[in-house]
Amino acid sequence: MAVMVLGCLDRRAGELTTITIGYQPSTHQIAALVAAEQGWWEEDLAQFGITKVVLKEFPSGPPEMHAMLAGELQFAYVGAAPPISAIYEGLDAKIIAGVQTQGSALVLRPELADSYTGPESLRGLRIGTFPPGSIQHTVLSRWLLDNGIDPNTEVDLKAMGPSDAATAIGARTVDAVFLPSPTPTIIVAEGNGVIVEWSGTMWPDHACCCLVASGKMLRDHPEIVSQIITTHIRATDYEIAHPEEAAEIYAKWMGANVATIKDSLAVSDMHWTHDPHLLVDSTLAYADIIFDLNRARYEGMGLTVLGETDIFDTRLYDELTR
Amino acid sequence: MKLTAVIRENGLSLLPLILVLLLWEVTAGYVVKDPLFLPRFSAVMSAIYTLRNLLVPDLLTSLYHFAIGLTLAFALALPLAIAMGWFRPVFKAVDPIIEIVRPIPPLAWIPLAIVWIGLNDYAAGFIIFIGAFFPILIDSYSGFRDVPRVLVETGMVLGCIGDRKLIRHVALPYALPSIATGTRVGMGVGWMCVVAAEMFGVGDSGLGYRLFQKFYFLHQMDYVIAYMLVLGLLALVLDRMFRYFVEERLFRWKKGIVK
Repeated sequence: MAVMVLGCLDRRAGELTTITIGYQPSTHQIAALVAAEQGWWEEDLAQFGITKVVLKEFPSGPPEMHAMLAGELQFAYVGAAPPISAIYEGLDAKIIAGVQTQGSALVLRPELADSYTGPESLRGLRIGTFPPGSIQHTVLSRWLLDNGIDPNTEVDLKAMGPSDAATAIGARTVDAVFLPSPTPTIIVAEGNGVIVEWSGTMWPDHACCCLVASGKMLRDHPEIVSQIITTHIRATDYEIAHPEEAAEIYAKWMGANVATIKDSLAVSDMHWTHDPHLLVDSTLAYADIIFDLNRARYEGMGLTVLGETDIFDTRLYDELTR
Repeated sequence: MKLTAVIRENGLSLLPLILVLLLWEVTAGYVVKDPLFLPRFSAVMSAIYTLRNLLVPDLLTSLYHFAIGLTLAFALALPLAIAMGWFRPVFKAVDPIIEIVRPIPPLAWIPLAIVWIGLNDYAAGFIIFIGAFFPILIDSYSGFRDVPRVLVETGMVLGCIGDRKLIRHVALPYALPSIATGTRVGMGVGWMCVVAAEMFGVGDSGLGYRLFQKFYFLHQMDYVIAYMLVLGLLALVLDRMFRYFVEERLFRWKKGIVK
């Protein structure tokens, strides 16, 4: 408890000179790395007295949002679903810009890929993906349901992280995985699977990653939030114009194989975008699904389904792009 | 009258516990005031009630994983401990391997558990086995290694000729308290591995699975702490049961040696 109190005091002390941005090791979020590699974060934020920008890597969205709940992050590159469940539980934060749409793939073991004809072929298979409430679990479950397959009884969805899922398909302990880029391409490059569907065919233009700002930053430092959005737009435009260089930056930061990452960007159906409006419809659908998953709890807390203004704050983005 | 006797008997154990719970409730409610940082004790109790229908299947699943790991750990550690403790060359040959493997955290074995065993209950049991095996082994072989020479010689005089008889009639009874200590420590470490053992897709139930893949994923901190408390309470029950059967029944002869 003393440690917790000291931690709180430590965070409250002093002027804001350091900005901490969370991200995950995914090609979806290369914009964060591009801006860091080019030195744009520090360069652009120096005018506001920011002397240091720290990029913190997280294995997945939930711990990243947990860090934001704890006040350790001011901004986060994250999937659109984790902030929603965190906002339901009291996270004071909003989505301020888009990062990308689509970009997850269903990978089947090579010996099963030849006989794959569509969702019907998945009946009875064991599929590794992120836990319920994640974008991947939501997109896959909805697509299966739309095709007459009950995701709870007719397939065996195993909740796991990307590394465990990649290991599991390599060891043939799962038949398929549904994961965000670049893991599907890495699995293919290792000869452990074949990509049979992209998430864009399951749910066209579904929201994936977004840029989130803490409520405190939005209220107390809108000028910094505005600059973060500007730099993010600059980085997104740059990665769209220079995908090869973006792949090289990602490979350098992650110690990944450049050729595999370039291949991942070439084959993926992902679209980088900084426009948050493109994410709204599907993000609201995720909010609905997450509410349904936890209906008894949320209703007990007096909550209703989150609306657009509960999740998004596009005011600054709109001013910048008007 | 009975109540005062109970309070007098258990006061020393209950008073600090009650104080900690009160401190928790007051700190969470009036100092922290944010259930995401620290939910109130009463909120956690309410969460346990809300989750009562999930608790029993999750408890049974975790106990099943624990039973797999502990049984395997005991079955492999005991023969190896006898060999290492009684036969010096075996100790010399095996000890370096044990000391290299022992510090590897159970979490680091997850990729190998997936590859070697698959996504099933035995993979979870394997992670618990890794946690429980080494304490049982180390304490047990220490017990066999430290058998006093005078006991061995007395056993030989009384007709225990050969390693087999000496181990059975002299070393094993002498080492039993060490084996029990190792098993108790191994049970504790093994139980600590339950969460890690259930967080990589081995099943759809279990205390660790629910805590890590569901409640933590959705930032439901009162549920997280409710399951943490259940994990702790169950460990306490397991330990008390073990101590009752081993110390009160099996080692009744030891009572009164010190106190």
